[in-house]
Order: sequence, then structure tokens, then C-alpha cells
Amino acid sequence: MMWLAKDPVLLAASACATLPFVSMVVILIFTRRYRSMSAAISISAIAACLLSALYLLWTLRHAPEPVQYQWAWIVSNDMIIPFGFLLDRLSLLMLTIVAVIAFLVQVYSLGYMAGDPGFSRYYAFQSLFAWAMMTMVIAPGMLQLYIFWELVGLASYLLIGFYYEKWSASQAGKKAFVMTRLGDIGFFLGIIAVLLGFGDLGILSMNEAAQAHRIAPSVVTLSALLIFCGVVGKSAQFPLLTWLPDAMEGPTPVSALLHSATMVAAGVYMMSRIFPFFAASPDAMAVTLFIGTVTMLLASTMAMVAYDIKQVWAYSTISQLGFMVMALGAGGYFAGVFHLTTHAGFKALLFLCSGIFIHEYHTNDMREIGRGGGRKLIIPMVCMTVGALALSGIFPLSGFFSKEAIMGVLAAKPNKVWLVAGLLGALMTAYYSFRLIFMILFPRQPAHHDAAHQGTGHDDHGHEAGHHGATFWAMAWPVMILAGITLVLGFFHKDLEHFLLGAGPAVHEAEFHGEGAGHGLGHYVLLFSAVSLALGGIVWAWLEFGRKGAAQEGFLRRYPKVEALFANRWYIDHAYRWLLDHLVYGGFTNLFTRNDRRVIDGAIDGICRFTVGGGRVVSFLQSGMVQYNLVLMVAGVGAVILFFVL
Amino acid sequence: MLMTAMEFAQFPVLSVILFSTILALVVILLIPDDRPQLVKQVSLGFAAVGLALCLYVYFAYDTQKGGLQFVERVLWVKSLGIYYFLGVDGINVPMLLLTAVVLFTGVLTMWELERRVKEYFALTYLLVAGVYGVFMSMDLFFIFVWYDVSLFPMYPLIAIWGGTRKEYGAMKLTLYLLAGSVLILPGILYLWAVAGAHTFDLFELQRMGFDVNVQRIAFLMLYLGFGVLAGVWPFHTWSPVGHVAAPTAVSMIHAGVLMKLGAYGILRVGMTLCPDGLVYWSDLMALLATIGIVYGAFVGLAQTDLKYVIGYSSVSHMGIVGLGLATMTVDGINGAVFQMFSHGVMTALFFSAVGYIYDKTHTKMIPELGGLSKTMPKASAFFIIAAFCGIGVPCMSSFWAELLVFISAVKTYPIRGILAVSGLVVSALFMLRVVQKTFYGEKNPRWEHIPDVPLSLASPRIILVGILVFFGLFPRLILDVIQSAVIPFVNSL
Amino acid sequence: MNSLSVYLVLGAVLFSLGLFGVILRRNLIGMLISIELMLNGANLNFMAFNRFLAPEPAVGQIVTLFVMGIAAAEAAIGLSIILALFRRLHSINVEQARRLEG
Repeated sequence: MMWLAKDPVLLAASACATLPFVSMVVILIFTRRYRSMSAAISISAIAACLLSALYLLWTLRHAPEPVQYQWAWIVSNDMIIPFGFLLDRLSLLMLTIVAVIAFLVQVYSLGYMAGDPGFSRYYAFQSLFAWAMMTMVIAPGMLQLYIFWELVGLASYLLIGFYYEKWSASQAGKKAFVMTRLGDIGFFLGIIAVLLGFGDLGILSMNEAAQAHRIAPSVVTLSALLIFCGVVGKSAQFPLLTWLPDAMEGPTPVSALLHSATMVAAGVYMMSRIFPFFAASPDAMAVTLFIGTVTMLLASTMAMVAYDIKQVWAYSTISQLGFMVMALGAGGYFAGVFHLTTHAGFKALLFLCSGIFIHEYHTNDMREIGRGGGRKLIIPMVCMTVGALALSGIFPLSGFFSKEAIMGVLAAKPNKVWLVAGLLGALMTAYYSFRLIFMILFPRQPAHHDAAHQGTGHDDHGHEAGHHGATFWAMAWPVMILAGITLVLGFFHKDLEHFLLGAGPAVHEAEFHGEGAGHGLGHYVLLFSAVSLALGGIVWAWLEFGRKGAAQEGFLRRYPKVEALFANRWYIDHAYRWLLDHLVYGGFTNLFTRNDRRVIDGAIDGICRFTVGGGRVVSFLQSGMVQYNLVLMVAGVGAVILFFVL
Repeated sequence: MLMTAMEFAQFPVLSVILFSTILALVVILLIPDDRPQLVKQVSLGFAAVGLALCLYVYFAYDTQKGGLQFVERVLWVKSLGIYYFLGVDGINVPMLLLTAVVLFTGVLTMWELERRVKEYFALTYLLVAGVYGVFMSMDLFFIFVWYDVSLFPMYPLIAIWGGTRKEYGAMKLTLYLLAGSVLILPGILYLWAVAGAHTFDLFELQRMGFDVNVQRIAFLMLYLGFGVLAGVWPFHTWSPVGHVAAPTAVSMIHAGVLMKLGAYGILRVGMTLCPDGLVYWSDLMALLATIGIVYGAFVGLAQTDLKYVIGYSSVSHMGIVGLGLATMTVDGINGAVFQMFSHGVMTALFFSAVGYIYDKTHTKMIPELGGLSKTMPKASAFFIIAAFCGIGVPCMSSFWAELLVFISAVKTYPIRGILAVSGLVVSALFMLRVVQKTFYGEKNPRWEHIPDVPLSLASPRIILVGILVFFGLFPRLILDVIQSAVIPFVNSL
Repeated sequence: MNSLSVYLVLGAVLFSLGLFGVILRRNLIGMLISIELMLNGANLNFMAFNRFLAPEPAVGQIVTLFVMGIAAAEAAIGLSIILALFRRLHSINVEQARRLEG
């Protein structure tokens, strides 16, 4: 252990990669009965990780070269799978994001999960997630990344299905696991393709080799596309996007941490991790851009008609992930990562605020919350508005800067379709987020009901504040911190850009197109149009939901077919259901089961029956009379003798 | 320190392991009928001794040196060239450990057995003696004899202590396995006769080498013969039926260890003696294995009996072993042997977990259970952990095995490899479906009165989970051992 | 016709009579007696060959003694089986003992 103490960087990295795991094991084995102890263990582990992450970020902020540690995890012949840490600017940034949000969410959960019978289990799974996520982020090789990627998926499964007595929750967990697994098959095959075509799975060497065109272009394209399947699964891109809204069955802090801020962003992170590799294949980039755009638009339309507050944010997460994938696909490395960063902040904020409402009013329906007097909860209401503004991309919140960066990248594309799609997305984003805000702020409900409801809502609040003061503040503080981050993060735009792009010339080059065209007059036109579209979306939402006497019925009400299409997620789930029923259960399973019963077992049983039947037939010769047997025997012997004599 | 180690190496530790089981059998038979508790204690004691010795062999095995170690070789029948020849290398060391672990946990799992305790444990020890014998012997004659010794006790064990359709299951299993050994015996005798050197010594025969045509015929016989026991598709249907019928610990030993005997036989006898036959038939092997992987998972989706589900998952997982062997690469065979070990531990855990549930609820039909997590969280957790291992969640030992096998399979047989990898989705679907339907959902009032598993009864499951996670986190501890035998083996192909 | 042939013919006749009896008699005791006849036919052959062809080693006599011993044992076992059957079936008719019928 001496070597650990000598190298504080290694010590800090190892802390991130072990402490939460230890915490999980300890909680599961020893402290399941002692709730507060479990929470304390888990939170102190994540706090230590947070400190380590900040320390690493601070110490290595000027490091010219990535710091890398590796040990052989398994060695099979000449294949070595290492376990280790790769600490460069990207991974440090992501590590910090994960640690900060995981820490805040775990603190928040103290309030949100208070009194839940599975409290200790919850913290154990949270630790599992933190461990897997952080070790994934600092993975130096694709296989380690894949391994922890899968473990993150496991944590997601366990946390989505946390309320396992609820059928829909366990169903959602299963769906999430299987759908991401579908993408991961592609990811795994992509890794094998890299292994076979190139031979080294180290992230740095892969990037370098792809950049220097030392890998055959066909290999790069094939493996990049296969690896992108993993992104499609984990980051809920089209066509594997429907698991994410279902994943909202999990506790709200889980949705905030896993299914908006960090885990689903893992796909985007992985893509930026091997961005130069992707960038070496224009075909793969084109596919990426296309998928990202489709996802972004589809998810935005779904969000426009949802009434479940968490569903809206879930669709919005999908569409923002689509934005990030678009940015990366268009060659905007920084834009993608920056949006990932800001999105992690404001989306966690939005979810955590919604969590407070849900905790208070025991409903997910935004109309109910509005009627219940949601606006009386000042802190979450204000914070949620801040988050919604950031999501819509309004100056000076963090979302503004990152969205501008993406628009800049898209504008640099010769084909303006992508830019138009992006602007349309921005408009819809502003519309659906403020639709939600206005519905909670200005509840539209008969007056007779109003007073009573408001009263109880108020009472509840007072009750909560008086009785569970600590509970409420455990939830409020993280929310306020996140709101603060959302407010100021945008101004570090240039610093972050400098920090990330200082990383290496390789990334810089890929960035070149995007940044070059972003400046100048076109830049201001673009900036203006994006902001005005976002404002337009807000005004539109105001006209339909906010102003006095507004019907609070979206314009889509007038097109019931379209509304049904959006509300049913473009019937993607129906298609999956159909495939599952007809292809898997009705098709192969049925066929194979019958084959087992009829053909294989039938043949075997047939042989047995034939044997038994043959025995029956032959047994007619057995009359049971000893003397008949004797006669036959004598005859037989006689025959043998005759045979030999003659 | 070095001296004591050297001295101990002279000690015939393998024979001691082997004959301790037979001694256990005799001792158990001598115990009076009315003292079942003593029978259990004696069984546990012998199992613990075996486990300790196997652990010693495992850790004392020198991976740097490799090759056969702890060798004991005595000429037994001169005219036929039969040797009493025991030895371990990197391939069977993990198998011995697996056998010892499964026996130990199996005895603990059956701690609450009440019917015909003495006979049960005696037969178990007979079974295990056969298993140890096959794993240790390096002489074809003894391999075959021990192999049949291990098959025989299955019939009474299932037919007397079994459950669902026990006579049918026992009969089907016995017939299938004997049909397999009907193919093995001529295969072995054919090779012995062709060699004409009057020796059953595996390595002498290997050095002699055989004609390509001889190898092709002999390998096919050995592959199919041992393959029946390894659950190769389409000879797999005995396995779910047999597992369902068998009592808990017999399922554990059977699925956990006995099925490995088949794969081990293919590797140790078939592939060692007939490398050219392997080359010729490897396409077929890979095809059957791939079908098994995908097929097992799909059929598993339709099952409603917990044990059937596990049975079909075994078919699927043993397909991975077969695929790894068929690749004929170091990675593939490494993965296959590793998978044999981890699948053994995993299925033992599966059956052990189901055993407790079945003992208490007297049903293993999935629709009747449901919501068990609420009433018995710990008992359910063991099954769920095993299911995760079966899905191939990382940091559980079978993940590494699957990883190695799939990498080399995609390399060697791209299309079949990709199909097999895609099978992972189906296996995830079917495992999670079972977990959901059995353990999740509303609390089922029917099982409310059932106590959760106490620590004493949970101990075998805890050991198994510990092994799965331990080798999942530190795979090198086992892979380096396996590799020390596999690399020279593949080079000699 | 020399004397050896006489003994052989006599032995063959004894053997055939015994065989005839074993096959045709329905009485178990009768069958047992017939078996004794067959054995004695064989014994006669042994003795005759011993006497006329290979007198020195006296192997034929030894075998004959051996057969007599076996015949005694066989009779004992056979009679006990017959006794057991009689207890069960109250008859010593072989037609009653047809449990082996397929």
C-alpha cells in the first residue's frame, strides 16, 4: 500500500473506483437494518469521491499529457484486458459532474426516501451506481468501459425496479435492461471488430491510430457504427428510445441522477471519449447526425402532449441527448461535451424540483400539482423555472451557451437541414417546458374545488415544513445548489472550451470546421434566431397555457390523430410489442418449444415405445412353460451341431 | 518452509481425495439408521476435508511450471496396459475445486433432509467418487470406469428422492447417459486397438498419434458420447427433465458438476487424442453449440417451472462451453474451461436457491409464486444474483468466460459468433422475466407465513455467491491456472 | 460292435430317455429324475472313454465324481425349489408355474 501513499493522484483515482463499491458491500451485508448508518456510509463514500474528483481536477488541470495507470485484469494468451485509470481533461470533467450530481442526489434522497422500507437497499444501489459510473468514466480501455457500462445498466435496472412490488416498475426495469442490452450487443461486437481489425483497445491508442489513418477505413466505419449501437441503447436514441420514459417508474432522485444527468449521458460521453475515432469515419458521423436529429425531433413531439411531469422531462432528456449526438455527429466535440455538462446540471435540477412536488402532492400529473397549489412551494418553483429557462436556451443561463455552440456547429454544415431541425427543436423545447411551468403556475380548475384543494395543499406544506423541516431542506439545498450552478456555469464557457480543447491537437482538428464558421456576422444572426425562436416558444406556451382565460389545451388538441401519434410515442412501443409477441414468443419460442416436445422428445419417446413394443411382441414367445423353452433349446443346439457337422 | 512443501508433494493427495469419498461412503453405511444427524455431520466432515485438500491442490499447483503435477502412476493390469494414473493440470484443477465446493454446499443444502438420510448421502458420495475419478484419471480405462460409476447413482437418487415425474426423469436421464457411454466405450477401445501399444495411458496414446481417418471416426464417437452428458443440442432434453425431477442437491451436483464431466471428456479425451478429428468436426461443434445457446434461451422463455428454466439456461450456457472448445484457440478454450467452472457454481446457486423456496412453498411453478421478495428477501436475493450471473453481468465470474468465448468465436466463426452473442439479449429477457414473475410484484398472502432463510441454511448460498463474485473481480486467479494447461494444449493441436 | 460302442449307445439311450422325460413330463419331480438320467448318461460316456481310450490320467473318473457331486447339489436345490413352489401353488405340475409368461 506504500505506493498508494506516494502517489496522491493514484490514491484519489483508486478512491473513486473502490469506495462506493465497499460502501455497497458493507450496506448490503451489514447495515441493512440500520437505515441512517447505511445512508451515512453511502454519502460519506460519495463525498470522499467528490473530494477526490475535485482534487484530481485541480491538480491535473494543466497536465499536458493524460495520466494513465494500468494493471492487467486478465491475461489470456496475448490478449490483455487492463484495469486502470485514464485521467485526462474529458474524463476529469465527467468524473466531477458525476460526483457532484451523485453527491447532491444522495443528500436529496435523505429527504425524498425518508421512511421508505427499502432505504438501505436504495443507498446500496446508489453506491453501486456511483462505483460503476465513476470507474467507467475513468476507464483507459474500451473493454473496461464496456464492463462498467454494463454494470451501470445493472444499477439502472435495480433502481428503476426499486419499487418492485409495483408491476409497472419491474416491467420498466426489465424493458430498460433488455433494450439497452440490445444496443450493447452492437457495442460488444464493435469492440471485437476493433480488436480484430486493430488489436488494441486502449482509448488513446485507438484515437491516435484512427486519426493517423493507421486503421483501415472500413474497419473504422464498421466498428464506429457498431459501437454507436451502444450509444443508441444507453442514451435512448432512435429506435431504442422508449425505455427511458418508462424508466421514470423509479424514484425521482434516481431519474434525476441516472436517467437524465449521468447514466444516459454515458452514451454521449463514450462517443466523445473516442471522438477522433468516430471523426475518422465520415459515414459513421453522418449516421450519427441523422439518428441524433430524428431522436431529438421525435422526443420533442412526444413531450408536447405528455401530462406526467416526469415523462415530460424524460422526453426532454431524450431530445437533449439527441442534440448532443447531433453536435458530435456534426463534428462539434466541444459543443457536445459542453451541452452534456450543462444539461447534467439543469436536468438534474428539473427532476429534483419535480421530485419535491411529487413528494408533496403524491401525484405525477402536472395538472393535479397545479391544482394542488404547486406554486406555493416557492423554492422548487423558482428553481424549476430557472431550469426550464436553461433548457429552453435563454440568456444568461447555462443552456443558452451550450445550445448556441451546437447551433454554431450545425450551421457550419453545408446542408442546412440539420440547422433547421435544430432550430425547430429549440422552439419545441421552449414550448413544452413552459407548457409544464405554466400549467403548474396557473392552474385552471373550477373555483368551487379550488379553495378546498389549495387549502389542503397549503396545509400539507405547512405540515411538512413544521414537522419534517429537515426532510424538506435536505431536498431544497441540493436543488438550490444546482440552480446556482445552472445560473453561473454558462459564463465559464470559454474557460471550459480552453480546458477541454487544450487537451490535444487531435481533437482540435476535428473541431476546426465547427468553430471557424461560428464567428462573424452569421454567428449573430444565428444567435438571434435561436434565442428568438426559444422566446417564441415560451410566448406560444404563454398564449395557450399561461394567460388569463387560456384554455390550457395545446394546439395539438385540434388534431387528435397527431396528438394520439405523439402520445403513443409514434407507436414505437406497439411495434416492439408486436415483434416480441409475434417473433419472440409466438415465433421462435413457440417453434423451439414445440420442437423440443414433439420432434426431439417425440423421437426419443418413440424409440423407447418401439423398444417396449418390440419386447411385447417378442414376449409372446414366452409361454412361461419351462419345457417349451427346453424344446427350443434342444432344437437350437441340434441346429448348431448340424451346422458344424455338415 | 520449502522442505515441508516438497514433502507434502510426495504425499498422494489426489488418491486421498478420491478414496476419502469412498471411505465416507463406507463410514456412512456403517452408521446406524436411527442417527440421521450423525450421517449429515459425517458427510459434512468428509466434504470439508475434500474441500480443504482441493483448495490445497488448487493453490499448490505451480502455474509457472505447468504440466501435470501431483502425479501418481502405477501399472495396474500389465497385459492390457491399464495404469492407475492420477494427475492434475490447469484444466482439471478448477474442476476438482468445483466438485469439492458443490459437494460441500450440496451437503449443507440438504441439511433438512429427513427421508432415508443414510442412503441418500451414501449414494451422493458414490456419485462424487466417480466425478473425482474422472477428473483426476489420466488413463482411458479408468476415465470410462469412473464415468460409469458417476452415472449409476443418478437413477436411485432421482427415482427415490425426486419430485415432479421422477420415474420418467430418472429413466430418461439414465437411458440418455448410458446411450452416451455406449458411444464412448467403443470409441476408446477403437483407439486402444488401433494404437496397438497395449496402453490406456492418455499421454502415451497422444504421443503415438493416430491416422486422420481414425481420428475422425473416434472423435465423432467421443464427441457425441460425452456430448450427451454436456447437454449438446439436440441431445439436451434429458437435462431439464432430469433436473426438474431430481432433489435439490442432486440437481446441484448434476448440473453443476456432472454436465461438466461431458465437456471435460470432450476436451480431455476427444480433443487430446484426436486433434485432426476436432479440426474436421469443429464446424459441426460450433454449429450445434450456437444452436444450443440461442435455442436454450428461447425455450427458456416459455417455461413456467423454475427448475425447467434453470435447465434450459444450462443448455444455453453449456452451448457457450461447446462454442469455446470448437474455436480451438487459447482464448476460446480458456473461456470454455472458465465457463465450466463458473456455470457449475452458478447453477449450484440456482438450484440451491430454488431448493429452499420449494422446500417451504412446495411449488416451483412461477405463476403460483410471485411477490416472493416481500416475504423472503434473502432467499430471493440468491436466485436474483444467480440470474444476474446467468445474464452475464460483469464482475461475476461467468462474464469473463463468456467474454473470452465470444471474442474468439466471432474471430473464428463470425456468423455463428454473432448469433451466439445476440443470444445474450434473449437470455437477458428470459432470466429477467423469471425474476420478475417469481419475485417481484405484490406480496402474495399465500406465502406470508413463511420465514426467510436463516443464516445456517443460507450459508451454502453465501459461499457460492462469494465464489462467483470473487472470481468475477479477480479472474486472473483462475484464468492463469487454466491457461497454464491450455496454451501448451493448443500449441500441440 | 465293440464294447466302447455298447457303452456309448447305452449312454445315448439314457440321455435321450432323460431328455424325453424332461420335455414331456408335467410332474416336476419326474423332470428332476429325468435330469438325473441325463447326467448319468453323460457320466457313462465319461467312464467309457476313460476306460477304453485314456485310462491313465483317470480324468474321466474324476469328472464323473464331480458330476455326481453336482447332481446331489442340484437335486437338493431343485427339490427345495419344488417344495417352495408346492407351498405356493399347492401343486407340482409344471403347467401351474407360468409366472414368466410374457
